[in-house]
Amino acid sequence: MSKPSFDPVLELPDNAAEIFAFLDQRYADAPDPWGLERQTIKSALKVLWPLYRHYFQVRLFGAEKVQDRPYMVVSNHTGQIAMDGVLLYCAFLTQIHPPRVMRAMVERFVTRLPFMGTFFAQGGAVLGDRQNCQYLIDHGESLMVFPEGVRGIAKNTRDFYKVQSFSKGFYRMALIHHTPIIPCAIIGCEEMYPYVYQPRDLARKLGIPALPLSASFLMGPLGLLPLPSPVDIVLGEPIFPPRELDPDAPDKDIEVQVAQIQATIQEMVRQGLKNRRPFKELMGLPDQRDV
Amino acid sequence: MLQAQDVRKILIIGAAGGLAQILIQMLHETYPEAHIVGIDSRPLDPSANQNVSFETFRYSRGHFEELFREHAFDLVYHLGRVSHANPGNQLSLARRLDLNVIGTSRILDLCLKHAIKKIVILSTFHVYGALPDNPVFLDEETFLRASIAYPELQDVVEMDQIATAWMWKHQNQIQTVVLRPCNIVGSRIKNAISRYLLSPWSPTPLDYNPMFQFIHELDMARVLQACITQVPTGVYNVSPPEYIALKAARRAIGIPGIPTSLFVLSHLVGLYMRLSKVELPHYIVDYLKFSCLLDAQALSQHLGKDFYRFSIKDTLALLKSQAGPLR
Repeated sequence: MSKPSFDPVLELPDNAAEIFAFLDQRYADAPDPWGLERQTIKSALKVLWPLYRHYFQVRLFGAEKVQDRPYMVVSNHTGQIAMDGVLLYCAFLTQIHPPRVMRAMVERFVTRLPFMGTFFAQGGAVLGDRQNCQYLIDHGESLMVFPEGVRGIAKNTRDFYKVQSFSKGFYRMALIHHTPIIPCAIIGCEEMYPYVYQPRDLARKLGIPALPLSASFLMGPLGLLPLPSPVDIVLGEPIFPPRELDPDAPDKDIEVQVAQIQATIQEMVRQGLKNRRPFKELMGLPDQRDV
Repeated sequence: MLQAQDVRKILIIGAAGGLAQILIQMLHETYPEAHIVGIDSRPLDPSANQNVSFETFRYSRGHFEELFREHAFDLVYHLGRVSHANPGNQLSLARRLDLNVIGTSRILDLCLKHAIKKIVILSTFHVYGALPDNPVFLDEETFLRASIAYPELQDVVEMDQIATAWMWKHQNQIQTVVLRPCNIVGSRIKNAISRYLLSPWSPTPLDYNPMFQFIHELDMARVLQACITQVPTGVYNVSPPEYIALKAARRAIGIPGIPTSLFVLSHLVGLYMRLSKVELPHYIVDYLKFSCLLDAQALSQHLGKDFYRFSIKDTLALLKSQAGPLR
């Protein structure tokens, strides 16, 4: 009697061949200085795609607005474990034509993390500083930026879907390189961990950026798994930074532009909440539509 | 810039090192008429060539100045930084500060006093430090942060800072070139990274995979020689344009090492190094965790883009083929 065979290949998207060909062509010549590895991305896609497609049932709106050129995708940051970044990454790799590896600009603490820091780097993440950003744009890469930083993901339940204040660095970089900005709203990630409280003082004492305590943790280790909240990713119309604005313009001039982008994304979130699927009602969570 | 005909007498400090030996051979071939004097505190075999002579003493000693008086040197190579990473050379930080910092300062003053035309100082990329928030490529303007993270590198950083400050102060009197090379490897180089790569007992990180740059010893010696006529006063990072992930480098050499979590190891590093008999400095653990890649474009502008003869694969393959004696 033959042993049952185990196929380690989980489901891949229909355009997997196109994605793999793109990875082989784009990143074949020289190793990436941050450590991006084609093979890791290919392997990770076998896990990410089923999560994206079936577990979180992601819907992508506005894919047709993305042209074949580098962009800076600026998004709201939600949830407690930055799953929004993973899903947005997966969206651009699998559902945008031609596919692209979004280079996520990550916080300093991420680069220090054993295993995870390397895994993110192999997937394309880089430390979000000006020099890295400049190098990537010079080399035709698209960037994924969450200008809220940790403030975005480390929110209490009452602040879900309230876009936190944006940092300004990304806009100056976009000005330097005239990189178009795609505003993005991600809806559905906040509900992955219901009823969250952030003991900020305790987190500060422990030296960690955030310490989310969720009601789901009462279920024990199982509660660490994000709930299968359906996720919508909405891409807005590209914003072209004005050529007449100097990248070294005073903060007040930059703040006006950044505030507009922040308001645009907040409005996209509001609209997206109206269009969401009824996961919240199923989970008995409070309605966030009035944000 | 120094002209080839100006090179008549050359002093090489730290002449017993592998890199210095290659350089002496190259200089002798290129400038057969020049007299090369090599000094080191380590014993040196007498040279078979009458134009090359060796003397054994420390450059901190009083009669070091006699050497400058006796020979009217045109060019000085300071390759004599005392490494704390070499086994059997575990000098205290105070002693290394004395040799590397006070000693270097003394060499520089003697060069100025005796109207040396050019001095080339070999520093190291370790001065930048392997830190998680390093930008992807470190140019020469980057702050030297190694001694903040690792106090044992204080002498290395101070030596570099003294040399660069002195260089700008006296740029109108003497040409000074400070080189910060990436990892130098080769059959005659017995540094920490060579020992690490060639030891089957050294840790290979499971949880990190930083990028590394390597320069072959012969390419490094060619850079040192080219500094005479091609490189003006300044501080320069030295690295070929290629880089490679640490695990890929270990695979290329064919010595996998012991898969280890560096997160755990960093707390047990002393014990591990003792048990595994791998004599490596403690700070090297961070260099195995975080990338410290050099932007060496400034030097390439003077040497040309195709200066380096050894690709990173060639360099590692040669290290592998010559691995026997170091294991």
